[in-house]
Amino acid sequence: MNVFVLIIEKIVAFGETLARKHRLLPWVLAYIALLPLPYILASLFSEYLINLANRACLFILLAVGLNIVKGFCGQVTVGHIGLYAIGAVTSAILALEPGSFGDTWGFGLSVWVAIPIAVLVTALAGVIVGLPSVRLEGAYLALATLGLGESVRIMIAVTPQLGSSTGLMMIPPPTIGSFVFESFTSYYYLVMTTAVIGIYFSFSILRSATGRAFQAIREDTIAASVNGINVVKYKLLAFVLSAVYAGLAGALFAHMPPGYLHHNNFTIIEMVTLLLMVVLGGIGNVWGGVIGAIVVTIAYDQTKDLVFYFMDRPIIIQPIVFGLSMVLLVLFMPRGIGGWIEGFQRNRRFIKQSEERLDGTA
Amino acid sequence: MALLETRNLSKSFGGLQAINEVSLKVEPNTVHGLIGPNGSGKSTFFNLLTGVYQPDAGSYIEFDGIDITDKPAHFIAEQGLSRTFQLLRLYGELSVLDNVMVGYHPHTKYSPLAPFFKGAEVRRQDAIVRDEMMELLEFIGLAEHAEIPAAELSGGQRRLLALGRAIATRPKLLLLDEPGAGLSPVNVDNLMATIMTLKERYNLTIVVVEHILKVVMNTCETVSVLDHGQKISEGTPEFVKNDPAVVEAYLGREMADEEIRAAMG
Repeated sequence: MNVFVLIIEKIVAFGETLARKHRLLPWVLAYIALLPLPYILASLFSEYLINLANRACLFILLAVGLNIVKGFCGQVTVGHIGLYAIGAVTSAILALEPGSFGDTWGFGLSVWVAIPIAVLVTALAGVIVGLPSVRLEGAYLALATLGLGESVRIMIAVTPQLGSSTGLMMIPPPTIGSFVFESFTSYYYLVMTTAVIGIYFSFSILRSATGRAFQAIREDTIAASVNGINVVKYKLLAFVLSAVYAGLAGALFAHMPPGYLHHNNFTIIEMVTLLLMVVLGGIGNVWGGVIGAIVVTIAYDQTKDLVFYFMDRPIIIQPIVFGLSMVLLVLFMPRGIGGWIEGFQRNRRFIKQSEERLDGTA
Repeated sequence: MALLETRNLSKSFGGLQAINEVSLKVEPNTVHGLIGPNGSGKSTFFNLLTGVYQPDAGSYIEFDGIDITDKPAHFIAEQGLSRTFQLLRLYGELSVLDNVMVGYHPHTKYSPLAPFFKGAEVRRQDAIVRDEMMELLEFIGLAEHAEIPAAELSGGQRRLLALGRAIATRPKLLLLDEPGAGLSPVNVDNLMATIMTLKERYNLTIVVVEHILKVVMNTCETVSVLDHGQKISEGTPEFVKNDPAVVEAYLGREMADEEIRAAMG
């Protein structure tokens, strides 16, 4: 444990030294360090892990977005997966060729046009998911948003134009000139870049008047309104911003090889998985959310085929494991990994201050 | 002209008439005291002024020449009316510096979406605000605790921070809801001294609710007395102290009669 702490301390200190030289330097270096990942994964393990890394990046975007509304602004939403679905399906049908199969809608737009439109549509949907927050709080808000999120999935499941039970197939991948993002490796660069930029902007929001307004609403809504914060406006803004992240993640998911979407990708189970990421990561902590997303994506992938037989019936272990770990986390680690990070930062600050004081007396 | 004026301000919760047709004027650059027994409606009165509650029909509140009846709380704050809370309502998990920076919110010069498009501008503006807010913290004596979460401050420091946050909105009128509650007499004196310096420095008008009568009598130019939601007396501290209606409200009729009898000898 001591070695572990020492390593983190070295990394943080290194990052701070870099940040003093230029604000963006740690970000650029982290980005460069992530560039060779697909080749390392492919040579050490298998091609499949690159696909997993891609999905981890999408879930990072989702978790970071959910953190804005839930972590910064304190609004409990369980409808986030519905926004993800809206982003994915909108982008898919905009990019599909008209009449490609059956009743499916298709508009034949370029993928680069389809994604921004899908993000805009999702942002508008974010306003609708956010509207209950004007009057409801806590568990009541969670129920209202749960209903909205689930109704999106059911709508997709029963509408042949949106894929219904067969799903949407052959969704075209993005292209630049003659280059097509159809391999796991090429798509990795697309989603990884988006995820890094997404994390960066999440910090930009947090460290501005906007982020402070969100946090003030989370801490005390009445005090925030008396401090001149338009509570309704900022709550809705938090929902819209998180919807932008969800819409972007959804659209990127739709065009990811093999270009297949099914409403089973957007169930309550997926939502619980997403919540688990944010809770494990520590509500309100950006880096915690990122770590949570990576850990849970890997755990999800490793446990999804585990089955045991009870009286000759197959029982899937995963929901049990995930549900149980959620309960245990809330009971024993309510601040998640982010709580560790914050405690660690606090200790560092305390040590630094004490050292400064000692220097003063010497 | 009065800075704040209420006419026939009323508020009822179901059958309970919490505030009943209170008309009040607060003159600029004064300290106006508001006293009354427990449950007389002092805090409700503040909540009506700051838009936390909506007043009943027929009420009228004017602040600095603007009608603020039925206006939302953030609009009223933007006009320059700020307050502290009896239970402080600090942002516990935010740092001391962030608490006062939230107070500065109405004067933010960039749009809420600027962090996406104009990062450099946001950082430049925030640096200016941070310096200004550090100066304020320096003044109220919390500068060395700027980085720690507000929840970790001591009781007295928390009262100072609540005051600092209210002043960070750069108000014209400051409403103080029992600033001295829970403090020792010496600390109350110190706090009142700080408040008076802040009044001079930021050119404030102050309305103060306080149970500690010594504070009210020493600092206020005018005192209004509420009882059962009605204004029963108003005037100089000396006048109010000797008003039989006030004595009765605090001590009850029998006691008041006894006092008068004793006074008559």
